[in-house]
Amino acid sequence: MTKTISGPLELDRFDPLSRILTFDVFRSGFNGWMTLMPNFTQPPDFGTRETVFEKTQVAPVMLSSATFRYPGTHGAMSGNYSLKLSTRPVASRYEEIPVPGSFGHALKRLSFHRPQRGLVQLEMWFSYTAEQDRVAGSDDLAGISERAIRAFGVSFDIQDRGDRYFAGARYLNSVNGELKQRWQLMRAAECTDEEWAYGRKGEWNRRGVDNFWYGRRYPDGRHDGFQDIIDGDQQLCYNETDCKINWLYFRLLFDTEKREYVELQCEDETFDVRGIGFTIVPTYARIEKLLNPNIWVENDTDRRVFMFVDSILISSE
Amino acid sequence: MREFNTAPLEVRKTVSQDFQTHPYECGWASEAIFFIHVEEMAGENAQLTATVELSNDGIHWIPDGTRSEIISSKGLHLIKATHFGGWLRLDCSVAGEHAQFRLNIQLALKG
Repeated sequence: MTKTISGPLELDRFDPLSRILTFDVFRSGFNGWMTLMPNFTQPPDFGTRETVFEKTQVAPVMLSSATFRYPGTHGAMSGNYSLKLSTRPVASRYEEIPVPGSFGHALKRLSFHRPQRGLVQLEMWFSYTAEQDRVAGSDDLAGISERAIRAFGVSFDIQDRGDRYFAGARYLNSVNGELKQRWQLMRAAECTDEEWAYGRKGEWNRRGVDNFWYGRRYPDGRHDGFQDIIDGDQQLCYNETDCKINWLYFRLLFDTEKREYVELQCEDETFDVRGIGFTIVPTYARIEKLLNPNIWVENDTDRRVFMFVDSILISSE
Repeated sequence: MREFNTAPLEVRKTVSQDFQTHPYECGWASEAIFFIHVEEMAGENAQLTATVELSNDGIHWIPDGTRSEIISSKGLHLIKATHFGGWLRLDCSVAGEHAQFRLNIQLALKG
């Protein structure tokens, strides 16, 4: 069947593969994106499993007008509202176990609907900033808090054909107040499940699962759940004050047949990451054919930090 | 059809001191209801009171005069907000001897 699809003008700033799975422009609403929560399954009253990292304290996602204390309302790239992720104003040092509430997390829950496997791509227009609630010091430009944002990232939680894996990337912005500003891919180091869970035995999240929360962190910015992209340094357009946000383009292309990364793009720069494989781990129950896109932001100090997402497009070949 | 969203402001959180809920943006909505579910409570004469606060920027807050009943029992309680601009939160005070509440607080918005 030959079909011609005409779409809204916003499509022109994306570069989708041949089949669009979701195209979410947040001026029209949440579009099924919601706050990531743990599982409420335990007796007697829908408790959560014991864990080394409490996941119920994540801050709720919201539709934001991006309104700031001096200039007022920014709006979004596509209208007046973007999806906003935020952290609570609590954080630990980079090399410590993350503090509950130091992440903002949004996801949409999907599944594979065609038997073919191959290229999958996520594109989004986004921005990020720190809450403009304090001037951190008395030096020149102490009123810019770019260093308060530790990282933000995107991942897909996938379970397919007898394996589970995460395909994702993050921008490591700041480590204990020192700017790093480089891209990393989700891959698990050779470690045990116990090391993955900060020394706790029997954690539900085994090695290679939920890299944003788990995996040892080292003071120089290394992480057992993320691998630096070679020549992956990039300074983004943060802007000159915390109350100005620029809309930035991001694209992650990967292959669910070969089980490896292909390309990462941010702004106008593309990183070739072909041949870098995912960390494949054993399956979990009840999530066969899971395909969950997930976005997160993490803070580096006791501040609220924000990530705004104007629009997301997920496509496949 | 109208946009609707229930936001999980506090999920099964145990409190024993005054606190404020996470600043939540609601400029797109015209109706707002805070649902406060007291799942567990302990202490002598334990009481929780919630006041609606508004903001221009998510940083500076001012009460708008809407206060909940005194909450001193398990179960679902609510407080509505009207004419609220772009941000909402609850300022909650806890009173009583060794008072403790386990709360599930959600904000239901419609617009």
